[in-house]
Amino acid sequence: MESHFLHLVLFSAIVSTFFAFLTRTAPRERLRVGLMLGVAMVGLSLALAWVMYPFP
Amino acid sequence: MGSRDVMAAERAAERARVPAGTITLACVLAWLVPGGGHLYLGKKLRAAVFFGLVTLSFVLGTALHGRFSVIDGRQPLLSELQVVACLGSGPMEIVTRSVLYGAPVYKLPDEDASDQGETRRPRTVVGKTLRSRTEASNSAYGTAYLWTAGLMNLLLILDVFDIGIRRKD
Repeated sequence: MESHFLHLVLFSAIVSTFFAFLTRTAPRERLRVGLMLGVAMVGLSLALAWVMYPFP
Repeated sequence: MGSRDVMAAERAAERARVPAGTITLACVLAWLVPGGGHLYLGKKLRAAVFFGLVTLSFVLGTALHGRFSVIDGRQPLLSELQVVACLGSGPMEIVTRSVLYGAPVYKLPDEDASDQGETRRPRTVVGKTLRSRTEASNSAYGTAYLWTAGLMNLLLILDVFDIGIRRKD
């Protein structure tokens, strides 16, 4: 698998699920925190990539 | 809450505290097998999830040519931190490293450590393996997965300790 984006999504999924289970005990809270972390990781990475795009 | 209630609560908390030996064993198990400490403390769902996530990350890291770092005298602090991140995964890291390098090597052999330039060719099995894995196109992804697996497992050891002393459920 050579797609940078797919690795980003997979890595974010692993890490966000890990922290959701590490920091929360209620299932609904885990889902909420996991989704929030995953979306934040992917979204911020894309935003940072967009900001850095003009730089060589 | 009166002082008598506080004392009763403290006594109840003291009774509920896991013995020090059990906490130590749980922490050792957590390093030996990802999620092992949680399983030992009765947290079955968390144990299964953590085992799956850490193992998946480690397998991806190994398959994608992640860097099994060795202590390099040219970059001592950085390479030592990398080794700690690798070793966090537990025995599966030691076994995989032994298969890759022919032995559980954690220090760059002197023959390679004396090289000053990146262009010099490595002479030992460790140096050659490290160079070939690092030069693979997907090595950066693999390294991220591999070190993350170790760091997640180190966090799990701390989590098991916190559960043991009843700082968290």
